[in-house]
Amino acid sequence: MIEIADLTVRYRSDNDIYTAIKDFSLTIPSGGTCAVIGPSGCGKSTLLKVVAGLIKEYDGSVSINGQPVNPKGQTIGFMPQNYGLLPWKTVYDNVILGMKIKKSPELLDRNVIKHLMRQLGIEGLARRYPNELSGGQQQRVALARVFALQPDVLLMDEPFSALDAITREEMQDIFLKLWRRFEVSTIFVTHYVEEALYLGQKIVILSSDEGGRSQIMDNPLFGEKDIREKEEFFQMGLKLRNIIKKDWEQAWENM
Amino acid sequence: MGKYVGFWYIMAALFLTLLWMAVSELVALPIIPSPFKVVDNLADIFMKYIAVHSLYSLWRIAAGLILAIVIGLPLGVVMGYFPKVDRFLAPLVYLTYPIPKIALLPILMLLFGIGDSSKIVMIFLIIVFQVVVAVRDGIRSIPKETYYPLYSLGASFTDIFYEVLWPASLPKFITAVRVALATAISVLFFTETFGTQYGMGYFIMDAWLRVNYLEMYSGIVVLSLIGLLLFTIIDVIEHYSCQWQSK
Repeated sequence: MIEIADLTVRYRSDNDIYTAIKDFSLTIPSGGTCAVIGPSGCGKSTLLKVVAGLIKEYDGSVSINGQPVNPKGQTIGFMPQNYGLLPWKTVYDNVILGMKIKKSPELLDRNVIKHLMRQLGIEGLARRYPNELSGGQQQRVALARVFALQPDVLLMDEPFSALDAITREEMQDIFLKLWRRFEVSTIFVTHYVEEALYLGQKIVILSSDEGGRSQIMDNPLFGEKDIREKEEFFQMGLKLRNIIKKDWEQAWENM
Repeated sequence: MGKYVGFWYIMAALFLTLLWMAVSELVALPIIPSPFKVVDNLADIFMKYIAVHSLYSLWRIAAGLILAIVIGLPLGVVMGYFPKVDRFLAPLVYLTYPIPKIALLPILMLLFGIGDSSKIVMIFLIIVFQVVVAVRDGIRSIPKETYYPLYSLGASFTDIFYEVLWPASLPKFITAVRVALATAISVLFFTETFGTQYGMGYFIMDAWLRVNYLEMYSGIVVLSLIGLLLFTIIDVIEHYSCQWQSK
């Protein structure tokens, strides 16, 4: 379970204070997913960094499974936009890196890793280096790396945005499959409305207005079979777009 | 490294020897003896005279290099990873880097004596700046997102160093050493003409003063082979430690 209450994050530059997130609250039940959507610069990445424990100065409270965020105590899987694979490590070493850092040999179960890599179709690439792989393959390695950790929380920053449309849909399905198996509470940031609708049980629309009100909605379409081809999927996408547009116009007026 | 590297080295050596032969035929003066005579002479005197000189030179280069690594690498890592340290140290480095280190030789000889230490410190000074700047820039060029997954798992500085900083800066560091080494060898030659009876610099200058051109050229050939040996060692280390780069 992830609980965020009255979160406010400010960035201080030399003579200016910028409010990236204001009075934001959100609860994600254990094993739930939440999509965060909004235009660039609305504080999406900031929100992820706070939950990841990368930003420590904020007002309000953020807790994971009832405990305040603590990278050393909890297992927080973070998948950055460019996958965050280390180019000097082979695929296999990249996958086990998280466990090495957590110093938890009990997680270093070769069978789990092998199975995970097979499921993701990257077992044959174990000895390759990331720059020999395609974008889709790197994405799979990054997924193997976070899921192998069996984290308390999974955070993904625009996870599939660098992929072509077809590979992206394929990766979304692979993600859902893994997520169902490991039941990891997940927050991901995206700028694709369809991605938010397909992968998010909850959808957060962060306001681009400085410190403006964000909206949180439950996604009624989540988990339905072949939902991407159905009419209500398009309708819902349109609705979401309109909400985002309205927020944008509001932000422009206030500028 | 490809399969035919050895072949191309032999071709290069052959080409240089032919060029040397042609020039010696053209000039036809004792100051440029034929390469065959030199090789003949080298085979004769290498174990007798030159070996000990080359060992002295190698030891000075190795000592200076190791000192430069021991001090330059941590300094570069700290400057690259902590911007605050860099803000303080970068001006110091930039102010002292452009000073021709050879200009400091008289001072070094006064401070460290005319023996081995001043020569080793000189080589250290030449290499260390390149190492510091290359390692620092190498670490600075790592995208910030690379660290995020590690920070969010509670990685310590030691983890970050072994998993990211060291492997990321290694190729830059090796390149810096390679570039600096050529300068170091030339400067070593110069410093060895002072206050020592051993070293390739001494041997070559001594042969020159004795107007023994065969020995002088033998010394030059050995000096060139020392350079080749060092570059080969660096290439081999790079090949095995930076495999991910060649892919």
